[in-house]
Amino acid sequence: MIKVRFFGMLRLALKVSSVEVEAESIKKLLEELQKMYNIDSELLKGTVIFVNDKNMNELQGYKTRLTAGDTVMFLSPVSGG
Amino acid sequence: MSTSLGGYMGKVLRLDLTTREVSEYPWSDEDRKLYLGGKIMAARILYDKIKTKIDPLSSDNVMVISTGPLTGTGAPSSGRFNISTVSPLTGLITSSNCGGNFGLFLKKAGYDALILEGKSEEQIWIEIAEDNITFHSAGELWGKTTGETQEHLGGKTGKLVIGPAGENLVLYASIFSEERAAGRAGVGAVMGSKNLKAITATGTKSVEVSNRERVKAVNKQWVAQLKRHPFTGVQLPKLGTAGLLSSMHARRMLATRNYKYGQFKDFENVSGEVLAEKHLVKNVGCVSCTMQCARQVRVDGKLVKGPEVETLGILGPNLENGNLELILKWNYLLDELGMDTITCGSTIAFAMELNEKGLWDNGLEFGKVDSLSEVFENIAHRRGIGNILADGSKRVSERFGGKEFAIHSKGLELAAYEPRAAVGQGLGYAVSNRGGCHLNGGYFVVMEGLGLSMDPYTTKSKGALVMMFQDIMEAVSAGGSCLFTTYSMIPAALALKPNSRLTRLANKLMKYSGGIINIVNKFPGLLSVNVPALFPHTLAIDAVTGMKMNMGKFKKIGERGYNLERLFNVRIGLTAKDDDLPKRLKEEEQVPGNKLTVVPIEKLKQKYYKARGWSKDGRPTASKLAALGLSRDAK
Repeated sequence: MIKVRFFGMLRLALKVSSVEVEAESIKKLLEELQKMYNIDSELLKGTVIFVNDKNMNELQGYKTRLTAGDTVMFLSPVSGG
Repeated sequence: MSTSLGGYMGKVLRLDLTTREVSEYPWSDEDRKLYLGGKIMAARILYDKIKTKIDPLSSDNVMVISTGPLTGTGAPSSGRFNISTVSPLTGLITSSNCGGNFGLFLKKAGYDALILEGKSEEQIWIEIAEDNITFHSAGELWGKTTGETQEHLGGKTGKLVIGPAGENLVLYASIFSEERAAGRAGVGAVMGSKNLKAITATGTKSVEVSNRERVKAVNKQWVAQLKRHPFTGVQLPKLGTAGLLSSMHARRMLATRNYKYGQFKDFENVSGEVLAEKHLVKNVGCVSCTMQCARQVRVDGKLVKGPEVETLGILGPNLENGNLELILKWNYLLDELGMDTITCGSTIAFAMELNEKGLWDNGLEFGKVDSLSEVFENIAHRRGIGNILADGSKRVSERFGGKEFAIHSKGLELAAYEPRAAVGQGLGYAVSNRGGCHLNGGYFVVMEGLGLSMDPYTTKSKGALVMMFQDIMEAVSAGGSCLFTTYSMIPAALALKPNSRLTRLANKLMKYSGGIINIVNKFPGLLSVNVPALFPHTLAIDAVTGMKMNMGKFKKIGERGYNLERLFNVRIGLTAKDDDLPKRLKEEEQVPGNKLTVVPIEKLKQKYYKARGWSKDGRPTASKLAALGLSRDAK
């Protein structure tokens, strides 16, 4: 299972902080989440996605492979203070 | 001295607290065009008034409280004012910006700025009611908290007050207007040293603008733009600055355990999301601001201001504290006592590590924080170990050792952004005129992960980029705007699509942008345009004041301000050696084995000095000063 943690605006929209999902890649994970929460895929793609403390763009983007025990964080695209 | 420009009241009031003499300080339209207002105007005045190293808590110090031309004009997010003086923490020039309503009321009273000189023999507060300036005894106000003082003063006036920390000369005491703080670098201690508890301002004057119809149109467009942007229109209203903390953790940028680490296992407990879900009553904001980024929460049944991200980080992960309820209480308590949450929390984290290492037996331990309220009270009243902690990390390290992990630069503690995962931010902390400040340092962390995702470890182009961000923020602040309005520099098209090809390309190209920035910096005429989508500020200042403003001129004003503050510091003894960070951040790898995870400060500094046109030892050169119209200051 992949541990998924939601932050930022996505979390406020979904009203969920974390969930466990089976998925073999980020792409598949997004598809699963889209089905589970009936949300627009653009909303998910508009977040910064970290896989085990690394931005997926530094890995293989949406093709990044996931294995059981991985943690995926969905973060606000822009923040500051 | 009147003005032919819009946006200004045309008067700067000088108050000598020693003699109680009231006079007008000469400030011409030429000065307004060169220095705009706010912190840059203050830098000019302080540079002319203080020419040698002084004791910041003596009568020699001068405090300048100044507004910008946009303040009071209805421009969005322009309810700001600035306080500049010589900091008791750093001994250098400092500026502290505040979102309370005092600036607006100061203009209603007919003044663009106040200059406070000397020192009152007795404890006083000052009432400014247009031409009537009254010095009152502060006997019954002395000892009151910031909230109690403002309540006692009552009335529909702008108020500026200190709490017990300012009275007792805690070196990081703040000044408050409503619930907003001019928080950093000890401006409250300077006010306290002058025996000045409070200032009120009131009046019925209004700010005249150069072209009312154009101002309305520009403001309307600007408000719409702020509301459309994903940060200023969505994230800030919903989550406040606290919404940043989770992203900081993910990127190893969250100061943890006195900056030992960049991540905290219990970060979520003190995040903006949990703050919003469990504690937020409503979001509120400064005068004329659409962002409404401040959090209102309940503490002991009372509606009070919630913590900003820096406070959450420094009083949370940096103390190994995952208890958000405690932070809400402390934030309120520290505001009431009137002191800076960042320096206070960071000094305590340092003391905890000193205790752990056997260097100072003070009873403070990471993660054991239940009794910290008492410590805060003791600091504000300078009792017991509080009397030592009241002097900040630098002085504590001079007494007990541990300089390599005393997290400050030039004597001012760093904010909650861990720079080993954002080396441009590290450079900013080190070279900032006011010491370890994230904002005066250029807030480059926003390009190294929090807004865009430029390589956070590369040194390429960071010197030029940090310089550019510092200059722009300097000018934005001097105009009277909130620094959050600079987020328009990150186009929504990029911000909303962090994984798109375009955004990834932009992130990659940034490290090659240094050359272009250096050319533009040398030939500001290349930027003689207005690009309202990125910089609405220039159009607004043009419409309000009637000055012919464009991006090139605006950036040059910021550069002039930054150089003037630097020159102030150099004249009183600052050298390149002072542009530094503690050893922990320069030499201890944040990720053991990864050599990239330190701040290569010497390399970054030289790139920065070169971009700035300074000498290798960090001094503004005569030719640079001439280019900025500061030739008379080149000696």
